Amino acid sequence: MKPVWTPRMQRIILWLRRLAVMTRKEMLQLSRDVPIGLLLVYSFTLAVYIAGNGIRSQLHNASLLVQDSDHSVSSRELIHKFKAPFFRLEGEIHDPREGLRSLDRGKAMAVLEIPPRFHEQLMTGEPTAVQFLVDTTNAPQGLSAASYAVRIIAQFEQEIVLARLGGTETSPQNLPAIVSDHRVWYNPDQNDTWFESVSHLLRQITIFAILLPAAALVREKERGTVEQLLVSPLTPFQIMLPKVLAMTVVILCATAVALFGIMRPAFGVPIRGSALLFFTLTALFVFSTAGMGLAAATITRNQAQVGMMTLLVVAPMMLLSGLVAPMEALPTWTRNLMILSPLRYFIDIANGILLKGSDLSLLWESVLSMVLLGGGLFGFGMWRFRRQFD
Amino acid sequence: MNLGRIAAVAWKEWRETIRDRMFVLLAFLLPVSWMFVFGYGLVQDVEHIPFGVIDRDHTALSRDYLYRFFESRYFSFQGYIPSEKEADGLLQSGKIRVAIVVPEQFEERLLRGQSLGIQTLIDGTFPLRTDIIKGYVIAINSAFTGERLVNYLARRSGSSVEQAESQVHPIRVEVRYLYNEEVRSTWSMVPALVMFTLMVSSPLLTALGIVREKETGSIYNIYSSTVTRFEYLAGKLLPYVVISSMNAVILWTIATQWFQVPFKGNPAFFFAASVVFVLTSTGIGLIVSLLVRTQIAALVITMVVSMLPTILFSGLIVPVSSLSRGSQIQAHLFPGMYYTNIVRGAFLKGVGLEVLWLDVMALALYALLLRGAGYWLFTKRPRS
Repeated sequence: MKPVWTPRMQRIILWLRRLAVMTRKEMLQLSRDVPIGLLLVYSFTLAVYIAGNGIRSQLHNASLLVQDSDHSVSSRELIHKFKAPFFRLEGEIHDPREGLRSLDRGKAMAVLEIPPRFHEQLMTGEPTAVQFLVDTTNAPQGLSAASYAVRIIAQFEQEIVLARLGGTETSPQNLPAIVSDHRVWYNPDQNDTWFESVSHLLRQITIFAILLPAAALVREKERGTVEQLLVSPLTPFQIMLPKVLAMTVVILCATAVALFGIMRPAFGVPIRGSALLFFTLTALFVFSTAGMGLAAATITRNQAQVGMMTLLVVAPMMLLSGLVAPMEALPTWTRNLMILSPLRYFIDIANGILLKGSDLSLLWESVLSMVLLGGGLFGFGMWRFRRQFD
Repeated sequence: MNLGRIAAVAWKEWRETIRDRMFVLLAFLLPVSWMFVFGYGLVQDVEHIPFGVIDRDHTALSRDYLYRFFESRYFSFQGYIPSEKEADGLLQSGKIRVAIVVPEQFEERLLRGQSLGIQTLIDGTFPLRTDIIKGYVIAINSAFTGERLVNYLARRSGSSVEQAESQVHPIRVEVRYLYNEEVRSTWSMVPALVMFTLMVSSPLLTALGIVREKETGSIYNIYSSTVTRFEYLAGKLLPYVVISSMNAVILWTIATQWFQVPFKGNPAFFFAASVVFVLTSTGIGLIVSLLVRTQIAALVITMVVSMLPTILFSGLIVPVSSLSRGSQIQAHLFPGMYYTNIVRGAFLKGVGLEVLWLDVMALALYALLLRGAGYWLFTKRPRS
């Protein structure tokens, strides 16, 4: 016997069925686009692997030239302290001009100059000076190299001073010195692959979440098929929602592949929190950012324009939300502007769940901000769409 | 080859492009807006790191020590924390990035002339930031240690503070920052942004412009015309090369006039090299456009092949020499790296062809290869 539905229930079922049909249509359309499919696969597998494996945000392998005018025990000892992973000894030079030339060419990043009589001065307690030339065409890296050099030399100096004082009556224990003792949480080995592969995954999710729905919508406008949809009994909401739904499903699957197929086996990225929570919030994030794409799609007329529009938005989001440079490094106005970027909150959420094992009780502020922002953006997109076609 | 026909194709393309107002606006607005947003936005001087303190000593000396963190512009004090358990919660939610633990007997031990360890709990999710925080903490700690040592030695041996000072710090480190003497992030970022912007926007413009013709079907007019492959491609690309070259000039002007980045090199060399680069980057757009059929595919693919490698492998943020082996190879395969060398060399180092000839050659070779591949891939008899 067929169940008897009330008219209200019937309407709901009809609504859901339309939604399902439209979502299926979007999926089909997407699955027939071979280049996009290939790109999705590449972006969520190989690209994540390359980024995780290849990028070192910390100072790493900075190429160093040494001009040692002393050639003594002390100078050699100091030089040997400049070692991997921060510095890579590129060789020795004898002429200061040679060093400058290498810096000009970009063959070396820094030059360490040790004066003659370095050892003698150290032993007799005379003050001495070493010079460190560093290429600052890349300012943050140059600064970082200089700060490591200063740290290394200070440590060398401290050892000598303590040895000298210890030679008389004191051991380092008996000097009022502070020993820096760092405990790094969540990623104690400072494994760059974790942060970089998670960051890259987030970048890919963002690009696709904005572009795919925007492109799907504007393509219908361009080809005129949106007129067919509008004369059908579908509401604007029913036209827009399936696009976002279909893309969300696709992106979630891709994310799962990247997370379980690449990041966990290859890099050992831990999933310390709840995976279910992660995927739920990823879906929320995709919804939020898709709203941006849809809003852009309603302002533009063809795909070229929507591409340019999204680029105006996507590039700042990717570079300024805290994936490339830490949020603390950015000027105040950038940080204020990025309040509007859903990615900013999602970074905290993703790192929180995956690396820190946080749950909702700690992340609710970020989640709430993301939901409010996403709701606003989606609402704006809807409003534009309605205005355009009603 | 008929120059008249090339000019005709170029003229047609130009008219088509400038009639799409939005397209024109974005072709010029996009590079300029990126320049401003990133030029101001991507300054990487890590400051105001939020931190908390677990002070188990509560003495005059511990406050004196902590005061150095409160006063520092690198740190921003968020409050005292009762225990490590609370610190964990704050670190997890990102409210603080580092917690400093001052142990019991801090003052007592130091005054007695004994060493002690200061523990810092650092959020390790972003290794770069962790590294920077460590550096700042070590710097403050060793400055404090130095002062205590000098005081202690002066008191113990009865010598003057200056004598004790030279005993504690026998080595002076003279750091010389070359090319960017004040180590301004803007100076290093803005020239690289010229590269980033051209590298992403010009392939995109080109790819979209060409695929548009495929998608609307107007390319069949070309197929049936007397225009040869070479003439078509040359004419088609010309407007985009011109637009991108204009952008190079506009970006250079913004960098030197607005951001006041010094330009130490030879402008003629720089613009010539930029044209070579533009030929390369539009070539990437050409190849993409020949491989795909829809504008959206062209867009996404161009973005992925140009934007991500440019952010990751061009030396924009991480120097190529610091990359891992595999990534270094990748970096050499993308044109972005060579142009980064040229841009930073011409702006900050003031070097020219005598140093950068290899980079220019690489770009020229790249441009030729891409053109050749484009010529080979383009056919007037498409399989339908």
